[in-house]
Amino acid sequence: MKIAGLLNRFARNKTALDVDEELRFHVEMLERKYKQHGMSTSEAKTAAAKRFGNVERVKRQCVAISRRNSLPQRMLKTITILIALTGLSIRILSTEYRVARIGHVLIVIAVCARLLIYVRGLSPTPRNYEKPECW
Amino acid sequence: MANERTDLMQGTLELLILNTLARESMHGYGIVQRIHEAAEDLLKVEDGSLYPALYRMQERGWIKSEWGVSDNNRRAKFYKLTRTGQKQLEAQRANWNRISKAVSRILQAT
Repeated sequence: MKIAGLLNRFARNKTALDVDEELRFHVEMLERKYKQHGMSTSEAKTAAAKRFGNVERVKRQCVAISRRNSLPQRMLKTITILIALTGLSIRILSTEYRVARIGHVLIVIAVCARLLIYVRGLSPTPRNYEKPECW
Repeated sequence: MANERTDLMQGTLELLILNTLARESMHGYGIVQRIHEAAEDLLKVEDGSLYPALYRMQERGWIKSEWGVSDNNRRAKFYKLTRTGQKQLEAQRANWNRISKAVSRILQAT
């Protein structure tokens, strides 16, 4: 669980840095354009900020969306599939009732975990999702 | 002119992005500029609102992105249409044509 947490944190930080760089590029391009149109540096900064909107809000939205399909999330999904397959194999191949029960338990665990991941993915609101103002 | 700017209809942004990326891969700034140029600056939009849409579309597999170098030698993320995105563009384009045709007919009839 700790490894998953670390991977999650690493992926989130990397995503946040990437989003930050991408948005900064856009704002700087806008500033550049306004300067070329004859604005002063401060005027260009103000105009670019107005045109772009709330950078922090956009950043939070993008990170939240990326997180839904991040590497740790994909790994968790793969692990649940593997657990389910293992459970199914044990269930099919075993002749003993006690061993077959382990297969049942594994299948139930995998299905529950998958449902949990699905439900969490359905709702982006709890942590940091905000609705965009326009578009 | 500013007073005549119109809010973009809900759901049309994705169509505009897909259509813009159908020609070539572009970074977010390029996409917004292309849309504003084509719309002759008549749409009332904040540029930043494009990015959540881009990330959602990437999550759905309609577009993919990779880091590259922009015209002014800056590191930038370029977006490209996938095969699924191409199909989505065709579907959304057909849907838009149907809707606009229906609305036009209603407006002419009344």
